[in-house]
Amino acid sequence: MSMPVLGKSDYRVLNVVTLKKMATTPVLAEATGLSTDQVEAALSALADSGLVLTAAGSAFPGDGADAALAASAAEHYAEVREDAGVIALVDRFEDINSQLLITMSAWQQVDVGGHKVANDHTDAGYDDKIITRIDRLVQRLGPLLAALTAFDQHFAGYRERFDAALAGIDEGRHELVSSPTQDSVHTVWFEFHEDLLRTMGRERKE
Amino acid sequence: MADGYTLTFRSADPSDVDLLGGKGAGLARMTQSGLRVPDGFIISTRACRQFLADGTLPAGLQEEVSERLAELQAQTGKTFGTGPVPLLLSVRSGASVSMPGMMDTILDLGLNRPAALAMAAAASDTRFMADLLVRFHRMYGETVLSALDPGGSLDAMVDAIGLGDDPGPVYDRLWEECQQVIERDVGESVPAGPDEQLTGAVEAVFRSWNSRRARTYRDFHKIPHDLGTAVVVQSMVFGNLSTDSGSGVVFTRNPVTGEQELFGEFLGCSQGEDVVAGIRTPDPISELATTLPEVYEELRSACAELERSHGDVLDIEFTVERATLFFLQMRSAKRTAAAAVRIASDFVREGTISPLKAVGMLTSEQVRQVQRPGFASSDVDAARRAGRLLTTGTGACPGQSSGILVLDADRARELAAGGQPVILARPITSPADLHGMIAAEGIMTATGGTTSHAAVIARALGKACVVGCGDVVINPEVRTLAAGGRCLTEGEEVSLDGTTGEIFLGALAQATAADSNGDLDSLLQVARDAAEAEVFGRVTLPADVDRARRSGVSGLVTAVDDVLAATGHLDAIIAALLEQPEVSPAILGAVEDAVAEGFTPLLAAADEMDTGVRAIDFVADESRELLQETAVITKHPELSVPLGSPPLIEAQIAGLARAAQEAGRAGQVHFTVRHVSDKGEAAALRGLGDRVAQRLGRVVQLGAYLTSPRGVFNYESVARSSDVVWIEVRVLQAATFGIPARLLLDQQPLDDYLRRGLLSVDPRTEVDPSVDRLLASVTALAGSFPACRVGLRLSGTVAETLVARLHALGFRRFAVESHEARPVALALGKAALAARTG
Repeated sequence: MSMPVLGKSDYRVLNVVTLKKMATTPVLAEATGLSTDQVEAALSALADSGLVLTAAGSAFPGDGADAALAASAAEHYAEVREDAGVIALVDRFEDINSQLLITMSAWQQVDVGGHKVANDHTDAGYDDKIITRIDRLVQRLGPLLAALTAFDQHFAGYRERFDAALAGIDEGRHELVSSPTQDSVHTVWFEFHEDLLRTMGRERKE
Repeated sequence: MADGYTLTFRSADPSDVDLLGGKGAGLARMTQSGLRVPDGFIISTRACRQFLADGTLPAGLQEEVSERLAELQAQTGKTFGTGPVPLLLSVRSGASVSMPGMMDTILDLGLNRPAALAMAAAASDTRFMADLLVRFHRMYGETVLSALDPGGSLDAMVDAIGLGDDPGPVYDRLWEECQQVIERDVGESVPAGPDEQLTGAVEAVFRSWNSRRARTYRDFHKIPHDLGTAVVVQSMVFGNLSTDSGSGVVFTRNPVTGEQELFGEFLGCSQGEDVVAGIRTPDPISELATTLPEVYEELRSACAELERSHGDVLDIEFTVERATLFFLQMRSAKRTAAAAVRIASDFVREGTISPLKAVGMLTSEQVRQVQRPGFASSDVDAARRAGRLLTTGTGACPGQSSGILVLDADRARELAAGGQPVILARPITSPADLHGMIAAEGIMTATGGTTSHAAVIARALGKACVVGCGDVVINPEVRTLAAGGRCLTEGEEVSLDGTTGEIFLGALAQATAADSNGDLDSLLQVARDAAEAEVFGRVTLPADVDRARRSGVSGLVTAVDDVLAATGHLDAIIAALLEQPEVSPAILGAVEDAVAEGFTPLLAAADEMDTGVRAIDFVADESRELLQETAVITKHPELSVPLGSPPLIEAQIAGLARAAQEAGRAGQVHFTVRHVSDKGEAAALRGLGDRVAQRLGRVVQLGAYLTSPRGVFNYESVARSSDVVWIEVRVLQAATFGIPARLLLDQQPLDDYLRRGLLSVDPRTEVDPSVDRLLASVTALAGSFPACRVGLRLSGTVAETLVARLHALGFRRFAVESHEARPVALALGKAALAARTG
């Protein structure tokens, strides 16, 4: 059976529902950059085909969601996947990604004689260095985000979410570094990574 | 130059942090204490303020810097911008308060062609020169010119250079390449002259004071924008110039175990970066004793001396340049909680610090970590012997948990919601697994390293996590996990150790590490003696008593509703209350019997310890569902006020009196009623106690749990009729804020609320001024009623800040969750220490 290819806004909405596993209309509107009406319309179409389930005001991915997204991404992003400029930037992303993860780990744990100990965040100088590094790494996504946004506007949303998280960190909201329950730098990065893999039709390595 | 803009490490006054900045002051202090620190000077914050006002470097600064450089050349025997031994500099920002957005360090400043060639000759290593060159360009490009990291192309060029290549052509080619990369990026290039490089770096430090991130930070933390930053200019030393050179890191004690031994690494003929980058494997520090015995001896005695003078374990970076030891950086060593306890304890034994000072070296959080339960080692050994070790991956977040194996995030959430501890195992993790990770007790992934997304999330959640279990094959379709020749089905029990990375079949028993920590116990005894305070621990079951006793409590608190629920008596009583139109004699008899029966074993176990028992609270915020509050109160509205049903209170007192009798106990028992706020209530309670005493011939002490501002305001009149008064700080604070008391036990929504600036006091960790005044009025009176003992009930995890304030207000009696007894004892000791050192 061949998968139906989703329209652009249906794809965007389903993509975010799958990334977040559970999402309300306002959250979807914010993350997709669509209006709430557009989101509602997409949700109802997706619900009709069973790709999305709704309960208590939230949308959840249905059984065929991953396959539908993969099939649609192959169609929508065929051009992106062939773009030499994007491919080069995506190849560089792997390196930036592992640096980001190393930096996130350094934020959470410090090395004590080869032994990892939870960072108690009493050394402001150490923390500042890490934040500076995280800031730089996010800036380094700039060219890739810009290149992807040229193909699909929804990638611009990541830029805004990164900026909001970084601004919050500078105000002392340090949970916006890696908290998985907030729109932290790591949360946004992780979702972007997943989105990128789907866009390019690649597999996650870890 | 008395009123100049620059000061040397040797002459600056280390206490003038405002002028020197934190880093500059630290280097001045180290230098003047006799440590061999690479020489240097500080451009003061005054110069920065001038720069910020005028937009240019202040007149005369350049000349002053030139003079300082001349001094530095004389001291080091090196020359800026040329050989035979070139003077290279590190340039750093250093404000009096550390903040983000300030300029990073620039190393190797001062490289031009003659200097670079001289370095190559001195190290007999052309690749080293190439590395310096690229490193310098990268740092200067990034920090001064805001270029992006030139990236891999330059590294590849360095890698292609041989040790013995002719340095001249290598220099010319690399310099050109570096310049082009940066110029393509930002349209500017790195100045060729060392003096211009230095000026550029100094200006960049000053400019970074007003970077967007630094401004945001200062706005948020209310740090004035006109303080300015200092610039630290320091001569560099090199550990790769000869075979009797090298670099290393040393801890004055083992930071993992706390053992008294020099701990660290040394790498001969290397720069510090080589150790960090893992390019070559360093030797343990002890090797230095063989290779450079004099240096080792100097290091060892300096470490001992520094440790004594700082009264703390230090982490020291050093470089040996041609057999001369230089100290680069020194800070308080980070350490594991176990090491922290051992170090504090050893310091006392060695006479380095007083016992009370040692208490001050620990934090409540470290005490919590040390006493955190882990697998019983006997159980782990038995599991290993029985071949139950399934596989070993990489520990990514410490913690030990057992639970049922689940291979899907949705099912993990469902089962955990049903009260089952779950270990979530995934081949890899995607963002869609997050809800399962939150629900699980432990997480394992087949792939990934300690810096995978899964590991980052597990640590953020504080969940035990093992990653990279290479031989594990998870088959989600048939819900099986295969490893080590065995095949597990979802639902089987497994245990996971996030430190060792081990996964065991079956559940493992938990033991408390602190149960056998003599070091911690003796330090806590010092804390208790100093604080002269009593700490009561909350218990519910007889088995809790022994654990509480081992954590050093001097008394116990419990509640009738909790004990009846735990002994299975509560449901029948609630059912009867819901059935009958009034609190009938049958119900009263059942309550009295249930209390007598439920409390006898508990009081017997408590033996000599003072034990406080709180009456059933039908309107308790925290047990609304347990007590079916809405239904019970609708039927019996009088139960929503403290003494609304005197017979029900009397039945509880009588039951308690019988239990005390039955248990044949030695210690006192006191019975308290929550939410009392009036002398009338206290007097009525006393009357009920008298009736029980007449009927049963056994006296139970009586008192109140004050939860309202009015109750505390009326402390004097309530205390006159009471033997004991507990003030419940969390509920009292919540009442003054007008918010539900349960909010004070959670992070949200208060975290967000505070962050938005909508509350100026965090009621979870600080005493609100309104409450502070009420509490101060209580301690002011306490001396007038020696017959009434007053104490504070603290719930949940108790913040050190809260304890400090309450101790300062004069309270010496506290009741806490039993597992908080040790952390609170420590916090009280620290409060006593603070009071003495004032």
